[in-house]
Amino acid sequence: MILSRVKPAVGGETPASIGEKKKKNKTKVPRLEEYLQQRDYLGALTLLEFQRSIGEKEEHADLWIGYCAFHLGDYKRAIEEYKSLTMQPDCSAEVWVYLACAMFFLGLYKEAEEAASKAPVSPLQNRLLFHLAHKFNDEKRLMGFHQNLENVTEDQLSLASIHYMRSHYQEAIDIYKRLLLQNRDFLALKVYVALCYYKLDYYDVSQEVLAVYLQSIPDSTIALNLKACNHFRLYNGKAAEKELKNLIDISSCSFEFAKELIRHNLVVFRGGEGALQVLPPLIDVIPEARLNLVIYYLRQDDVQEAYNLIQDLVPSTPQEYILKGVVNAALGQEIGSRDHLKIAQQFFQLVGGSASECDTIPGRQCMASCFFLLRQFEDVLIYLNSVKGYFYNDDTFNFNYAQAKAALGSYKEAEEVFLLIQSEKIKNDYVYLSWLARCYIMNQKGQLAWELYLKMGTSSDSFSLLQLIANDCYKMGQFYYAAKAFDALEKLDPGSNYWEGKRGACVGIFQLILANKEPKETLKEVVPLLRNSGNPQVEYIIRVLRKWAKENRVLLS
Amino acid sequence: MDRVERLQDAKVLKNQPYDESLEVNDAEEVASVYSPAPQDHAQSESRQRSSRGRGLMSANSSSDELDEDSKRQERKEPMSIQGGASPNEEEEEEEEEEESDEEETEDDDDDEAAAPEGAYDPAHYANLPVSTEVKELFQYITRYTPQSVDLDHSLRPFIPDFIPAVGDIDAFLKVPRPDGQSDSLGLLVLDEPSVKQSDPTVLSLWLSEETKQHGAAELKKVTSVVSPQLNPRPVDSWVDSIGALHRSKPPASVQYGRAMPDIDSLMQEWPPEMEDLLGRVDLPSARLRCDLDQYCDLVCALLDIPVYGGRIQALHLLFSLYLEFRDFQHFIRT
Repeated sequence: MILSRVKPAVGGETPASIGEKKKKNKTKVPRLEEYLQQRDYLGALTLLEFQRSIGEKEEHADLWIGYCAFHLGDYKRAIEEYKSLTMQPDCSAEVWVYLACAMFFLGLYKEAEEAASKAPVSPLQNRLLFHLAHKFNDEKRLMGFHQNLENVTEDQLSLASIHYMRSHYQEAIDIYKRLLLQNRDFLALKVYVALCYYKLDYYDVSQEVLAVYLQSIPDSTIALNLKACNHFRLYNGKAAEKELKNLIDISSCSFEFAKELIRHNLVVFRGGEGALQVLPPLIDVIPEARLNLVIYYLRQDDVQEAYNLIQDLVPSTPQEYILKGVVNAALGQEIGSRDHLKIAQQFFQLVGGSASECDTIPGRQCMASCFFLLRQFEDVLIYLNSVKGYFYNDDTFNFNYAQAKAALGSYKEAEEVFLLIQSEKIKNDYVYLSWLARCYIMNQKGQLAWELYLKMGTSSDSFSLLQLIANDCYKMGQFYYAAKAFDALEKLDPGSNYWEGKRGACVGIFQLILANKEPKETLKEVVPLLRNSGNPQVEYIIRVLRKWAKENRVLLS
Repeated sequence: MDRVERLQDAKVLKNQPYDESLEVNDAEEVASVYSPAPQDHAQSESRQRSSRGRGLMSANSSSDELDEDSKRQERKEPMSIQGGASPNEEEEEEEEEEESDEEETEDDDDDEAAAPEGAYDPAHYANLPVSTEVKELFQYITRYTPQSVDLDHSLRPFIPDFIPAVGDIDAFLKVPRPDGQSDSLGLLVLDEPSVKQSDPTVLSLWLSEETKQHGAAELKKVTSVVSPQLNPRPVDSWVDSIGALHRSKPPASVQYGRAMPDIDSLMQEWPPEMEDLLGRVDLPSARLRCDLDQYCDLVCALLDIPVYGGRIQALHLLFSLYLEFRDFQHFIRT
């Protein structure tokens, strides 16, 4: 029914439809209750203010305004209202706890605690202090307030939400299920269960439970946003964005609730598009905003900026630990800092070894990263192999995987995997080039390694690659390319002596020719190679070669 | 990179094949027992070359053998340096290199101890039918031991996917209704405002209209829309809302000078004879040969609208009747 809506909804509850209601109720002005039933708090607020302005007041009009502002999510407004109430001499002490609640949702925890302390003892006050203790990480007080919780619905639900925030999703689900058994019509609890399943990565289960709620309330913001997030995890950003668009289309222009959440998630679903415009102001408003901005910077290879954003974050969720690990690993490698690498390795180990993450893909990636930093490649492979199926075409995965394979001497597989990599950035990385060259040589493809060298510009890297080719080819008996590499080294670095290697390689070529493993014509190239060196032995060797060439009718020059 | 390996400081140093391989290098001197053989032949020639070629490199030219040794020492160092760094850095890196070599040996043990598959093996060529001269030449191959070049590793960290936000679960830290009634927010329905919220400006306009309390709360907030061409929705919504507001207002009330029949009575059906007749005869059209005043009188008469003196009030009633019919559900067909 949402989809068939041709025109976007006009300014919310239109006066026309209010007019209809008015006729039914035979009163000229709609009653507050009607707005509240519709959860049209903006309408209710307008009505209350209008009544206030014409001097026609509801009983407790100020409290109603506070109530409406609070449930609208306009906590600032609610605080103003409650604050002015507390100034009045006949103010009920209960107002203090309302003020505290509004402050809590603006993140003003200290102020909230102070306000709550002025309120009389009540279940609401206890719940608030309980959550404040959680925010302050005050375990001792947390336990105290926990003991005061009673076996009533509100207290139990409050406890469940603490479980949720502490990543104890199963405990939260247990509470919700128990309450749902007692009250089948508590549909909102279905959404809470769905949120827990989402966090547990059971996206399809989450979707199923959520559908029950959406069936009866198809335009719920929280539920539709969760549905979009499930789609993001189950399918892709496009599918998720479609769900959010839906939500935007059905909501009225004056609807401000969760607007930031929606903007934030649109950036996520669009793969980071608009991140720099949208996310910075949302830092500390939406907890994920900071993390996503860090991810954005990492993807842009701006490691320093990513580090600046996350360095002061005290990690508490697996995602935060992983991200801190990733940033430290990237930075540590970039600037060569052992301290950062050590932190990275510790965080990876912590997440990868935790009961909740050890069997997830990110958990396995963490363990692999940890062992990679420790250079324990056998262990790296154990973990990477366990998630290999999910990353067939993933350059990052393949790069790490191939390095581990090559480090353990599985050069054939390593070469195959290196060649799967598409990213130009990786392919120009000297680590990639040098390991690929080694794989080529170990797989008797010295020529390909030599071509890698030829494609490189002259640099310190290309010099190192020559040394690799010279020595590895020598080791593998590919003397032709060893000789060429030694010859090139000699030219680039006349101060060092490469003669011994070059001499051996040139004689090696000769031996291969004699063993029919190298065409006789190659000998022609050997002579100038030798001549390039000014060593006294050159002429002697050439003489032997010539002698053989003459006997075997090979033309040397 | 090399620093990474230092992370495994705790590792015990087991084996040093690198050092061993150095010894093989040095063992050349042992091998040199037979090495002079090829050199002897070459000596006369090579001496001449060496005096030219080496003078620059080394002052030490007392003998070929010595010379070669000292140069081997020289060469050994630059060989293990990667990236041809400047001399000052060379020393530092050299240290690190060696450390990492030692540490890495544990992993690389197998590779280095047992030569990799397909490595050069002189035994394969031992039986080639060649002259002793060539055979002696072949010894140069084993005389050089290829260096083990250590390669850097680089972990590309697994950057996580972007993380969507789903929000927290209702913690039941909420303000109750002032009248003490239960609102079941967060239980029967989620405690969230409906997506349909009244536009405060439109609603206050409507309220002041309805209560005839003009001025008090009127237009205290005028919203503006940033770049409306990109964002037409709020504008459309505003136009629609105000349109609806005007429609819902009672038509501007006109006080008729004389009593007029009310619209409902005018909307009653005609007698059957009249209906019957209209089926056959068209109503007089505007082309009727008469002036406008007469035509107005005619139409009003047909519709039972009395005309007292001036026609303005009668026409007003006529058009009100028209609007009423136009919006009358019964006649709206799609």
